[in-house]
Amino acid sequence: MEIEAIFTFAVVGSIVWGGFTFFLSKAIKCERNKNSSE
Amino acid sequence: MKQSEFFTSRWGLILSTLGIAIGTGNIWRFSRIVAQNGGGSFLIPWVIFLLIWSLPLIITEFAIGKYSRLGPTGAIAKTAGRSFGWMGAFIAFVSTAIMFYYSVVSGWCIRYFVSAFTGDLFNTSDHLVYWENFSSSYLPVLYHMIAMLIGAVVVYRGIVNGVEKANKVLVSSLLVILFMLLFRAVTLPNAIEGIKYFFTPKLDYLLNYKVWLNALTQNAWDTGAGWGLILTYAVYMKRKEDISLNAAMIGFGNNSISLIAGITIFSTVFSLSTVDAMSSITQSGPANTGLTFIYLPLLFSKISGSLFINTIFASMFFLALSFAATTSLISMIELATRTLIDYGLKRTKALYIVAITGFLLGLPSAVNMNFFINQDWVWGVGLILSGAFISFAVIKFGPEKLRTQVINGPGCDLKIGKWYNYLITYVIPLEVIVLLTWWLVSSTSWDPEWWNPFHAENAGTCFLQWGIVLTLFIIFNKKIVNKILED
Repeated sequence: MEIEAIFTFAVVGSIVWGGFTFFLSKAIKCERNKNSSE
Repeated sequence: MKQSEFFTSRWGLILSTLGIAIGTGNIWRFSRIVAQNGGGSFLIPWVIFLLIWSLPLIITEFAIGKYSRLGPTGAIAKTAGRSFGWMGAFIAFVSTAIMFYYSVVSGWCIRYFVSAFTGDLFNTSDHLVYWENFSSSYLPVLYHMIAMLIGAVVVYRGIVNGVEKANKVLVSSLLVILFMLLFRAVTLPNAIEGIKYFFTPKLDYLLNYKVWLNALTQNAWDTGAGWGLILTYAVYMKRKEDISLNAAMIGFGNNSISLIAGITIFSTVFSLSTVDAMSSITQSGPANTGLTFIYLPLLFSKISGSLFINTIFASMFFLALSFAATTSLISMIELATRTLIDYGLKRTKALYIVAITGFLLGLPSAVNMNFFINQDWVWGVGLILSGAFISFAVIKFGPEKLRTQVINGPGCDLKIGKWYNYLITYVIPLEVIVLLTWWLVSSTSWDPEWWNPFHAENAGTCFLQWGIVLTLFIIFNKKIVNKILED
């Protein structure tokens, strides 16, 4: 029971929170590049 | 009409669009649906539909809005062709019809915040009676008016000074409050049991088609994909603004908030419930209000022995709920206003019409719960048609053309591949057909008179109300489209 919950937490959490963090950091980088090129 | 006002920055656009997506559905509906569909078992299809329903539709809405610079009616006419403007008008109408009663819901949230803050909420031991006294009084009308007024004032100030500034403050505050609530909830005794339930999958649920359909519905509801709202905000995107990366942040950001809200609510309920946590969390109550307005106030009164701490916790929860509701309401008011602006009205005049009409047509839902339930049912299911119409517009326009020229066009930070074409052309229409058929077939099983249009929740009432609206828009299609596209 606990292992299954931990596994789901890891998979769902890494996709949803990991995905958000990944795209957010990419957006921050893009904005920095745009600002420095301007 | 040349577009003159734009979101000042990427972050302004993202926070505003997140404001659309993050609504009461993330906080109250998500937890209830997870509990009813086997906890962790639900989360797996829920993540899959984020990828194959919400994301392609969010990308599409951004693309159509940025390309057309028009609200839903004009945008669909410009992409699908003039003969199909009625589809865009239907999308705009569905979101506007939702605005009428969503303003009432926003009013409930504001009222419960006031009640919690003043301590009035804890002066009763029977929260069902408290809710019934409130909902049968004149107060829902008053708070519906307050909610509509707040939304209208924000939209009146324009995109930059109104919508963008309000969302920056409200969405940021909402995130801070949610994290504070999360911290308090997971540190409650026995909170781990709630988290365990929330994430433990049950194989039998995972094999049940209803769980998958509920996961799709929840995604359609809480990301705001297919409503036409994101399309409306995209009208105000700068020409060199990215689409796909912003869309990904909205989709993943919205579902991240749902997970946080779910952990908070499950932890709180399992920690403080003295009877049966599951029956409490799954109870619907009138118009799905059970968990939020009846059961949670009872739990908040048990958080600690200190009335002050309980008041702070309850106030923060209902303040977060009010912020979430208000930011979504603002986008609905903006959509309706933008539709009238496209039709040639000045912004101020359009807003007056929307605010006054919104208040008046929201009154029946404020005073009659059956009317509220009926409208929630008819236009909630109608959103599936809206998603189908958006997908149809892309198919007519050409998915490859939209992808290469608009989505991967000027300002693109994240190029997307041909998978988008397949999703929007085949997968989304298939999802719509399956979902719509399931909704309507299942509605016949709980109402033997499924054809009777005067029942609150059945197929007949949907067919009648959609039929009237669609017939009118199809008849006047040419007149509406000519007026918008000529301007």
